[in-house]
Amino acid sequence: MSTPEDTPGEDVKRDDPTLAAEWALGLLEGEELLAARGKYATDPAFAWRKEWWDNWFAPWTDGMAGAAEPGEHVWQGIAARLNPQPSAAALAGPDRGGEVVELRARLRRWQWVAGLSSVAAAVALAVMVFAPGTAPQDTPPQIAATAPMVATVPIGETGLRLDVTYIPESERMLVAAIGLAPDGVHDHELWLLPEDGSAAKSLGVVAPGEVRSMELPADITAELRDGSRLVLTREPLGGKPEGVEAGPVVAEGAFTRV
Amino acid sequence: MAARPKPASDEAREALRAAMERLAAGDQSALEEIYRMTRVKLFGITLRILGDRKEAEDALQDVYINLWQRADRYDPARASPISWLSTFARNRAIDRLRTGKVRGGAVGIEEAAPLPDESPLADALLVDAEQAAQIHKCIATLDERTQTHIRAAFFDGYTYAQLAEQADVPLGTMKSWIRRGLQRLRACLEASEKA
Repeated sequence: MSTPEDTPGEDVKRDDPTLAAEWALGLLEGEELLAARGKYATDPAFAWRKEWWDNWFAPWTDGMAGAAEPGEHVWQGIAARLNPQPSAAALAGPDRGGEVVELRARLRRWQWVAGLSSVAAAVALAVMVFAPGTAPQDTPPQIAATAPMVATVPIGETGLRLDVTYIPESERMLVAAIGLAPDGVHDHELWLLPEDGSAAKSLGVVAPGEVRSMELPADITAELRDGSRLVLTREPLGGKPEGVEAGPVVAEGAFTRV
Repeated sequence: MAARPKPASDEAREALRAAMERLAAGDQSALEEIYRMTRVKLFGITLRILGDRKEAEDALQDVYINLWQRADRYDPARASPISWLSTFARNRAIDRLRTGKVRGGAVGIEEAAPLPDESPLADALLVDAEQAAQIHKCIATLDERTQTHIRAAFFDGYTYAQLAEQADVPLGTMKSWIRRGLQRLRACLEASEKA
């Protein structure tokens, strides 16, 4: 080798391929990690480079070779998550078999689209199947009316992202910020952009690493529809202060009815 | 699971490739097959990164459930199944580490349950040997200290801040070392692709 890597007194410029490598190694956290994830979702060259590094680093995983066997309950847990429906089907009874099949298909697609946690999925299934006053014969229009809406902000590679689920009948929204790490300096605030171009409406500060359920006020649910846009901004801790412009937009997405 | 003779490496890779294809086509039974073939290798990865058996098992569960939900994400043109799955498992473990609930670091021997005699193809499922040789060759061109830090980031999931603290150097110095090393590594790997 010609010169050592630690030549002093020189700041090494971080180009995109280097950022992709840092991310692939797992060096990034907090704000930087979020920025890399956003770039991955919007910049194909960056996404390509991240996978290029992943691929080259992959042989190193051979050196982490398995010396241990996971417990039996691991597969049981996976299997249970794949087939969670027996109780719902049993409770629904024979008359509503068609509906359950339809719900399963919808839920399956929904999970597929949003990669939702089982918590969110279970809540939605319960809401749809056991909604009060839902007579069996009224079911098809009812399902259409209460179909959940999902938004993924941004679409990431590994499931590290914001999943937003709105369940119309319950007027509740589930926000899952899995993998977002607090950096101790910033919070991230979620906003709904009304279709009429009026001021963005805050949906609150996102709780990193948690699935949070929130009840939405009527002025917000009135605005929520298929295609409604959401943006995530970076704010000081606690969210955007009164009388100050919102921080930079770090991610965005839109609701899709499923 | 009944004992069976361990297939040769090529057969194992082919079996995994076929199972991944079936999974992408929506065949749920393929997931169990993939699990049987890869769990030990992937568990080794999540355990190494997370340093906690319970967390590593949770991460592993997460990996396979995600795999089922998003089997379409795997692109056979870009990576072998085991290479992709290993990366996926490591990335999920790192994600978990970064949410801050897990201590991370090396795993004590006492935490590692012994392997059964019928080893589930772990040895047979190594990532491409040629590729492995090349990355080893390229990393060896870096100075020893930089090599050590890059490897520590990969194997133990350390952040820049943790590496700087352990080496007792300023954060900026650690970043410079690693970034310069990564740029050299990239040049070496790209040269090997053109060769």
